[in-house]
Order: sequence, then C-alpha cells, then structure tokens
Amino acid sequence: MSDATSQMPAAARPKHSLFEPDARTRRRNAAETRFRFFGASAIVVAVLALVILLASVLGSGLGAFRQTFIHIPITLDATALDKGGNRNPEDMKKVTTIGYAKILEQGLKAAIAEKGLTVDPALTAKQIAGLMSQDAAAQLRNQVLADPSLLGQTIEFSALANGRVDGFLKGRVTLESAARDSNISPAQLNLVSEMKDAGLVSLDFNPAFITSGDASEVRPEAAGLGVAILGSAYMMLIVLVLSLPIGVAASIYLEEFAPKNKLTDMIEVNISNLAAVPSIVFGILGLAIFINFMGLPQSAPIVGGLVLTLMTLPTIIIATRAALKAVPPSIRDAALGVGASKMQAIFHHALPLAMPGILTGTIIGLAQALGETAPLLLIGMVAFVRETPGAPPEGFFDPASALPVQVYNFTQRADPAFVERASGAIIVLLVFLVIMNAVAIMLRRRFERRW
Amino acid sequence: MNDMRIVERDVTASSAKMAARGVQVYYGENHALKDVDIDILDKTVTAFIGPSGCGKSTFLRCLNRMNDTVASARVLGSITLENEDIYDKRVDPVTLRAKVGMVFQKPNPFPKSIYDNVAYGPKIHGLTRNKAELDEVVEKSLRKAAIWNEVKDRLDAPGTGLSGGQQQRLCIARAIATSPEVLLMDEPCSALDPIATAQVEELIDELRSQFSVVIVTHSMQQAARVSQRTAFFHLGNLVEYGETGQIFTNPSDPRTESYITGRIG
Repeated sequence: MSDATSQMPAAARPKHSLFEPDARTRRRNAAETRFRFFGASAIVVAVLALVILLASVLGSGLGAFRQTFIHIPITLDATALDKGGNRNPEDMKKVTTIGYAKILEQGLKAAIAEKGLTVDPALTAKQIAGLMSQDAAAQLRNQVLADPSLLGQTIEFSALANGRVDGFLKGRVTLESAARDSNISPAQLNLVSEMKDAGLVSLDFNPAFITSGDASEVRPEAAGLGVAILGSAYMMLIVLVLSLPIGVAASIYLEEFAPKNKLTDMIEVNISNLAAVPSIVFGILGLAIFINFMGLPQSAPIVGGLVLTLMTLPTIIIATRAALKAVPPSIRDAALGVGASKMQAIFHHALPLAMPGILTGTIIGLAQALGETAPLLLIGMVAFVRETPGAPPEGFFDPASALPVQVYNFTQRADPAFVERASGAIIVLLVFLVIMNAVAIMLRRRFERRW
Repeated sequence: MNDMRIVERDVTASSAKMAARGVQVYYGENHALKDVDIDILDKTVTAFIGPSGCGKSTFLRCLNRMNDTVASARVLGSITLENEDIYDKRVDPVTLRAKVGMVFQKPNPFPKSIYDNVAYGPKIHGLTRNKAELDEVVEKSLRKAAIWNEVKDRLDAPGTGLSGGQQQRLCIARAIATSPEVLLMDEPCSALDPIATAQVEELIDELRSQFSVVIVTHSMQQAARVSQRTAFFHLGNLVEYGETGQIFTNPSDPRTESYITGRIG
C-alpha cells in the first residue's frame, strides 16, 4: 500500500494568505537578497581592482614604447672615422664610440646654431652634448660599421635623447625638479624646449624597446626587452615541447592503465602536492641538478625551460587527468564493445574528447611558467645580458633573460626612468598572456566543433 | 492482445553457440552470480529477465568479458564460444568482443559522424580493403539496423544529433558492422519510447536470422514478444531457463511464477 492514502500528520500550519509572506518566508527572502548583494559587491571589487591594475600599468608603462629622439644632420667625416681610408671594417672598428661622440657633439652644435636657437652661455659644451644619450654614439657607430658607404656623407640621424630629456618631454621631469637634479639643469631643459619648437626633438615610437637588449643603470633610455622576450620565448618552447607529451603520457598511464594501489595513490597525492610547492624550491632543484650536477650553463634558457617544465608538469597532469575522468564511461564501453583495444579506446575516443581540457590546463601551466620569476633568479637568469641569444638550438645555451626577471631587474634600479620601463615590460608580458589565452580558446573551439 | 502473444515458435536451431558452466561472479566480497549453467543457442533470441540486481546484466557482461574493465570483478567457471573457453589465457578480449558484439542500455554513439560510428569497428579490425568496401559495409549495417532510409542523406551528420531511438539503432548498426556471431543487448529499449521500442524489437527479430541475440530486459512483455528462450534470474541464481512459451505459460519454479504474475520484483 502506498503512503499517499494514509493520514497526513497534523502539522500545525496556520492559515495564511498567499498575498502576504509569513515571517519565515520574509527571512528566507532577506537572506537571499543579502547573499546576492554580497556576490555583486565581490564582483564590483574584483572588477575595480582589475581596472586599477590595468590603469596603473598602462598609465605608467605605455610611455616606454615612445622615446625622445634628437633629429640632427650628421656629417660622417671619413678622415676621422676611417683613418686607413680603405673602408676595411676591421680597421674602422678601431675608432671607438668616443670618436663618434665627438662627431655627434659637433653635429648637434651645428644644428642648434643653424636653427638660430638661443643657448644659455652658462651651458658648457659637455652639457649640450649631454642632452643625447651615451648610447647615441654606439648607435651611430653600429650604423656606420654596418654600412661603410655612409662615410663622407651627411645623414639625417635620430639620436636617442638622455633619459632626463625624455622624462621632460613625458612630463616626468620639470624645471623645478631639474634645479635639484645634478644630472640635468633647467638651462638644458630650456634649450630642449626650444629645440622641440624648432623640430629638432620629438617623441617617436621606439621599436628598440622591444628588440634591443638591456642597458646599464645610467642609460635607461636605451634599455629594451629583446633579450628577455627571446629568452622567455625559448623557455616557453622548451616547456611546451617537454611538459605536454610527458604530462599527457603520465596522466594517461595513471588514469587508464596504472593499477589502483598504495603506490599509485601515493604518486597521485604527491603530484597534487608538487603543484603547491613554492616555485623557488624548483629553482634550488634546478640549480643543484641541471647546473651543478649536469654542468649546463648558467643563465641559459635551456636550464630555465627545464626548471619551468618541472614546475608545469603537475598542473598539466592534474588538468589532463580531470579531463580524462570527465569523459563519459559509456564512450569507453562503446569502443571496447566493438572490439577496440584499451589503447584504441583511449586514443581514438577518450583523448580527443578530453583535448579541450588538456589544452586549457597546458595553457594555464604555460602562462604560470611565463610569469614565474623566483626559480629563474636562482639559476642565474637575473644576470645583466646585453647580447641577443643565437638561433635555436644553440641559442638555448646562450645567456638570456626572461620577461618577469627583467621587470624585477628594472624595478631594482635607481633611475626613475626605469619605472616606466618596468611597466612597459609588464604590458608586454600581459600581451603575451592574452595571446596565449586567445590561442587556447581558439584551439578549444576547434576541437569542440569537430563533434 | 497482440502484444502479449506468446507464439509457440519452432526453435529450429538447437546447437549451443555459447555455453556457460558453473559461472560465479564476485564483485569484491559480493557474490553477484551463483553457479550459472546456460546454453545460448545459435540463431535464437535469448531473453534474460529478473528483478533489478539479480545478476542478469552481470552475466551478460561476462559473455564478452566486459567485466574485465571492472577492477574488482572476478569470474569463475567456464564460458565457451563454439567450444573455446573465452576466459582462457590465450584469448584476447579484443578479438572476442569483435565476435560477441554489445549494445548498451543507454544509446552511446561516438561523438562523430554517423558514417564514422559504423565504420569504426571494421576499420580497427581491418575488415575492409578499401573505401568502397567500407562504404558497402556501412550501408549494409545501417540497412540491417533499419535506419538507412532515415540517415542515408546525412551520413556526415554527428551521430549524437539523432533521436534516442535512432541513436540506439545506430549503435546496433555499429555492433553488427563487425559481423559478430553473438549480439548482446543490455536493456536496449529502456531509454526509448514505445514506437522506437517497437522498431528495435522488430529489428531484433530480423537479426535472429544471422546471429544469436541475447537480450536483457526488464519488460516481461518484451521478453515474451521477441525471444524464443527465456532465462529467469533471481538474487544471483539462474532459477529457470527454457522455451519462452513454457516459461510464461507454465513455469516450473514457483519463484518464476511469482515474478511473472507480478508478486515479486
């Protein structure tokens, strides 16, 4: 007999109009309203934090992509720059940047005179030349060495301006702050204003920020991210190539083939634990194994890549196992039912279905690795590297930097111009992360569309 | 009533295709199946009936060693397919499952095209030499499964986009594409509506001319409609096994009678 016919227990439920909520309903509704409010406020706080972060990074970092240049005609005196007169690059290399600096100085003076600008008589020749970056001479020398036919000609040269001059055009340096600054004087800045009006000085897009290497503490205007970007790219390549196959193979074995016993339980727990191990620990491990024991070079992307691979593996394994677990068992049954072997069932059916999850996990792991700083500090990637590493595979062993380490490096330096550099580097890092996520979404869409 | 007709069908084939002797199944400590002896006849539909948890599905999954995938399952006793012990060490379950196909309770087409669903079995077993042959096998299987006319214009459409009944018939087409000798069906109609059920039942009757079919079902009417022989399981025991007509009209065991008349189960 069903219970439906039995007498309902006589619950004391007073009669109540539907139009008027009773006290209990009101309390429940109030609780729900409160909870919704908390949720909405959490979202608002999160969005605000994100906006503030982006605004501050973009606000202080976008300037790094523009740089002040001094545009002057330079007469490349062949007698001074090529004493042998035979245009032999080996001989021309004997003329150091000091020789080129003199030519730049003369060119700048001539340009100022030609435009008829008033120069404060208190300004020394050295102070006028100091408007240009110390790197400008090296720039000119490289240009001439690359193309000796320029000798004897007069070229339009865009010299990097000094960091303080750059700051003046960007509003960071003012006449008041210059009065207290031993590196620049108000008289110099007045001259810069006149030069700007005359069209000798302007803010231009600065591709060198993305392509060139780091520069020393005293010339922030020349510092770039080229080496760091290349180093990070090399490391990501190594991480992807190593961690994806190893991680996926390990997960498939653990999830599908491994017997369930104490040992595999322990492995499973420890993989989860590894994902939570502080990254600096991996740095120590990499230092001990790859550099001290295996004798790989310091500061090399290969070592960084290996360390980051170790760090990324747990993330990929956990994500892949979760994705494999989420494939409905009926699909495996179906494959086994028509006589597929276990491996065929996995590779033909389970793995393709798990692919979106695996890719998401991999990209998250890569993104983590891209932003990782601490382990790289320990394996020497914090070193000052100016030379661009070579093409792979040899380039994997050349010293390089990494984007997050470069950010850290920039923030350690005294010159305020590096603040802008650091923020600019963060923007580049964020752009890479956005690109990686976009790729992940695209791949996921493509794999999902196939079904 | 037409549905309840119990035809005294002449059981022409009498040779045992599969034979089980003293089969015991344990799931860990749980003794799920106790001492089952049964002969599955060739070109016959055999129905397994019984209340939930009585072991009929478990036994069905023993017949093509799908229980191997359950780590805790242990199978004792012997099951032979044409006098070869399928639990022999030399037997690869993969080749066994090509000979003993299976259709599951819930339609489970691969999330691929209709064509690929059916072509998968022949492909992995290398049954066809070229695309034309494969096309032929796919068409023949879909025709046999009585779904060809509905899908012939959209073989590239995903199999998961079909209706429930169509999906189940697609799964049957997939199972018979490898030309099995025995077809196991685990409650193939439990997720289907009456019309789709009728189509699948009709199909089962046609398939009998080529395979032996073993079907697990909760519906006694279905067992009566489609099968020639019926086995009644109860609490892990095979209570009674015989011709369907005899089981339903004149059961020898009181438990069978109670179940058929609805007093237990």
